[in-house]
Parts: sequence; C-alpha cells; structure tokens
Amino acid sequence: MSANVSINKVWKVISKQKAVIAIFAMMIFMIFPQTTFYTAYNWLDMLRSTAILEIVAFGVTVAVLCGGCDLSVGGTLCLGGILAVMIVNNGYPIWLAFVVALLSGAVVGFINGFLVVHQKTEPFIITLGMGMLLKGICQQLTDAHPITCTSLDFMQISNRKFFGSIPSLVVYMAILFVIFFCLLRFTSYGRNCYAIGGNYEVAKYSGIKVVPIKWSAFVISGVTATLAGVLLASRMNTGSSVYGDSTGMLVNCGCVIGGTSFAGGVGGVVESFIGLLVIQMLTNCMNQLGIDSYYQTLFEGILIVLIIAGDCYGRKLKRERV
Amino acid sequence: MKKINANSALKLLQQNLVLCGILVLIVVTAIVEPKFLGAANLNNILRQLGPLPFAALGMTFVIIAGFIDLSNVGVISLVGVLTMGMISFLGQVGALIFGILLGALLGYLNGLILTKCGAMTQAEVLFITYGMSSVYTALALLYTKSETLRITSSTKPYTIFTTLGSVSIGIIPVSLIVFLIVLVIMHFFLTRTIWGRSISILGGNKDAAFLAGFNVEGTMRLAYTIEGIMAALASIMLFSRVTTATATSGSGYETNAILCVVVGGTTLKGGKGSVLRTMLGVVLITMLGNCMNMLNLSTYMQTIMRGAVLVIAIWLDNRKEL
Repeated sequence: MSANVSINKVWKVISKQKAVIAIFAMMIFMIFPQTTFYTAYNWLDMLRSTAILEIVAFGVTVAVLCGGCDLSVGGTLCLGGILAVMIVNNGYPIWLAFVVALLSGAVVGFINGFLVVHQKTEPFIITLGMGMLLKGICQQLTDAHPITCTSLDFMQISNRKFFGSIPSLVVYMAILFVIFFCLLRFTSYGRNCYAIGGNYEVAKYSGIKVVPIKWSAFVISGVTATLAGVLLASRMNTGSSVYGDSTGMLVNCGCVIGGTSFAGGVGGVVESFIGLLVIQMLTNCMNQLGIDSYYQTLFEGILIVLIIAGDCYGRKLKRERV
Repeated sequence: MKKINANSALKLLQQNLVLCGILVLIVVTAIVEPKFLGAANLNNILRQLGPLPFAALGMTFVIIAGFIDLSNVGVISLVGVLTMGMISFLGQVGALIFGILLGALLGYLNGLILTKCGAMTQAEVLFITYGMSSVYTALALLYTKSETLRITSSTKPYTIFTTLGSVSIGIIPVSLIVFLIVLVIMHFFLTRTIWGRSISILGGNKDAAFLAGFNVEGTMRLAYTIEGIMAALASIMLFSRVTTATATSGSGYETNAILCVVVGGTTLKGGKGSVLRTMLGVVLITMLGNCMNMLNLSTYMQTIMRGAVLVIAIWLDNRKEL
C-alpha cells in the first residue's frame, strides 16, 4: 500500500514538472553526440529564436489564466508587423509605428474580449475564426507579397546586440518576463486573474470585477502579440502575411506543456516560458543532430499530443478520485 | 424571457440571421450580375461542391456529439497521397477500399486517444486533434518527400477516379450523386438508428448520458470514425477532381467544414443539428464564394468574409441561448 502511495507521489511530481524533466532529458542526451549544443552561442541563439514566441506567450498566459484562450494571436502578430512596416515605409517616425501597431492589437483584443467575456461565447473556435479574419486582412493589406522595410533604424531594433554579444531580442524578452511575472505575482490584478480562472462564479460573488478583468486579459494578449509582431518584422526586416501561421496553436500548446492549464487558474509566466523552451530546444536538438525536417514535424506533433493527452489523463484521474 | 412576447416571425429571423444575410447577398448578386443565375454558372456551382460537403458532413457528427476536430486536414492529406500511391499496387478498386479503411482507422485512432486520456472538453479535443493533424501531415510529407503525386503516373487503370472527378450525368456531377446517396444514408443513420441517437444524446449532456448507461466512450469513437471515413471520401473526391495529390492538399478544410456546419445552424454546444442543415450550409458557403467571384472581389476578401461569417455565426448561435 505504501509503495503504491509513493508511486503515486512520484507520478504526481513527474506529471507536474514534465516540461522541466523533458528539458533535462534532452540536455543529458545531448552530452553524447559530438555537436555544438553546449556552446554559449547556441544557447543565446536558442533564446533569440524563441524570444518572439515567448513574448506572445506571456500575454496569452494572462488570457489562459483567466480561463480563456487566444488562438487569434497568429493573425494579430502578422497584422502588427505589417502595419509597423507600412508606417515606417511611409516616412513616419518609429514610435508612431509602435503606437499604431499596439493599438491595433488592443482593438483586436477588445473585440475578442467582447465576444468571449461579454457575450460568453466559447473562446476556442471564435478566436480561431478571428485569426482567419485577420489573416485575410493581412493578405489584403499586402496583396500577399512581403513588404521590405526601407528604414535602417527600424531594422536595428531587433538585430542590435547589447553588452557585446547578447541579442537585443533576448533582453526585450527578459524585461517583459519580469514585468509579467510581477504583474501576476505581486499585484491585485494578477491575484484576481488566478481567482477568476480558478472559479468564475466564486470570484464574481466575492466582489471581484470579473468582466473588466477578464476582458482586459484579452486586450493584454492582443497587445503583446502585436508587439512581438513588430519585433519579428524588425528582425526579418519585412512585413509579410505568411508570418504567424502556426503561432496561435504553438503558443497555446506551449503554455499547456509548461503546466498552465486551460481549465484556468493554474500556472504562470515561468511555466509558459519553460513550455515554449521545450519546443524550441527539441527543434534545436534535432537541427544539431541533422534530422530531416519532415521527421521534425512528426516529432513535434507527437510531443504535443503526448503532453496534452498526459495533461488530460492527470485531470481524468483526479476526477475519478473525487 | 422578454422574447416570449415577440412575434414568432421575428424569432425565426433572429435564429437564422446568418442564413438570411447570405440569402440577401445572393439576391443582390443576382440583380447586379444577371449571369449569376444562368445555367452555366449553376452548373459551375454544382461542380465546385466537390469535396467540401463530405468534410462538412463528417464534422457535423463530431460537433453534434459535442466535440470538434481539427485533424481532418491531416487525414485528407495522408489518405490522398497514400490512396494515389496504392493505385499501382492494389488496382483502383483496392485503392478505393484502402483509402476508406485508412480514413476509418485514422478517425478511430483519434477517438481512441481522446477517450483513453479522457478528453471531455472542446479545448482538450481541439489541441489533441491539432497535434494528430500535424502527425498525419508529417507522415504524408515523409511518404511523398514533398513532391506532387499525379494520378496519370499510375501503372494500373484509374477510370473510377476520373469518373468521380469529372464525369456528369446530365448537369449533375457524379460526385454530387455519390454525396446525395451518402447524405441520405447518414441522415437515416443519425435520426433512425440507436447509434445515431446516442451521438445526439452524448452531445446534449455527457453526464446524463453516462448516468443513463450509454456507452459514452464507444459513442465518441464512433463519431470520430465516421468523421475519418468522411474525410477519406472528401480526400478521394479532391484528388479525383484535380488529379494530383500533395502532402498539404487538406489545408483549410477544417475551418471551412466548421464554417459550413455552423452556418447551417448546428450549434457548437452539441446535441442539436442535422446533416440536412449542414448541406444547406455547404450550398450557401459555396454560393457565397461564387458570388464574390462574380463581383470580382479578390481571394483575400473571400478569406476575410469567411472569417467574419464564422465569427458572426458563432456569436449569433451563442446569443440564441441567452
């Protein structure tokens, strides 16, 4: 009996920290083959490649914590980048590009929030439809051609290096990480988000203003997605309607992989960060080992299915115990 | 509660607002462009129906059961390339049977994974089927090495497929006749058999269905198997018409199928709906696309329009319950 209990305990720890375990497993595995995995350059590169998705994920985490979900971030990211490049190309200052792009994200988030929170629709499919709508708008804006940015200053934003060798994207990501961590951990807004995700009705009757807070979570998600879009456009020096095709799904999956639950109220920025790092590290490991890109898609799909199915299975066990 | 006093005509209009909107658009197009109702264009619309009705029909079953499926993109791609590859080995009849069985197998696999891990909410189902979709697409990529397969390079005769794809009896294409037969069978299945009824009951209230002694997991697997078979039929119709198959030929079918089901009036909450309504949705969405072609709008505008119709349809569908 006691053995059974301890097995249960071990299983509980494993299921809770599966993303961290996955990271350690990959790090141990990568000791053996002769690769450039353990170099400072590779790790910085890994962080830089994942920075855009991480920034999107920080905002999405807030929406997911409140018991929502935002699959439209792919379209929002795309829209932000295209608007910024168009504005800079027309000779307006860069700060204006940021303001307009972030405002567009806020508007998209506001509409999402209206539909999901105020009108109480199911967030998953409606944000999927919203993503499709935004994709269409992006294609219409650019005529489905990539637009190259002519301003060198704009390109410098994401391609600069701080302190000698640290890519600027990593620095931006770190700053946003700290901001979101503090927002969720140390402010009443963050505590209320957890409360709303944990139990909507209880939060409502204990006097939390549930509708404005959940609504604003979607606005935050939209704004961070456009911010990431502008940074991506600056990194690539192009605004294109093909960016962000799989972002929505990947980011939301990443949040769940890290341990932020779609039931709401569980998880946080740290978990989402780790979750997306797992996906990026898997890609990096497979690149280092020279695995075919088709197999990479396959493994990524299997990873997503395994981890989300494991998440569901854990909840099923919990349900049955109750 | 206020709606009790409102007269019933207004209520009917409210419940079918999307249908009415699209009908108005069709009437406007017919007035602006008289060719729209000409025999040539109607024939064209009948031809355009092709694979979409099958995909939408399968999606109807999953949605009536209260779930959602994004994996039909992967199923359509994988069944398409493998069936075309099998013509040379199994002959055309063998390949046809192989394709349908493969679809059933993939659908059953989806259902098996979902029931084994206990995924009961739309969110969990959405992400797991998305992961399965990328697994299937990756397998299709591995099989084709991302080359385009052509039906004309088969070493054995392939007349069944060309008949399905391009022959018409009178003005009615063969694929439409096949679809109508399948539609009648599926309508009978859903409304007159115990299995079909239990799918509806499962969608109405899962807990009640479980407590009443229904085989919840078996019913769920059944719904996904039907979805798989329908996706396989859609795939066969698709490659018969275009005579080529690629590993990405299924992309876009998931949102379009959901769009048709929702516009037809089947609610995403599950439990209510019929295959005939989906048929109506398919016809209207196809005519909508045709209208926009007639009015010389760009394909990007069509994406925007589809996204907008999806969002508005889900929103209005949700308002009915309020």
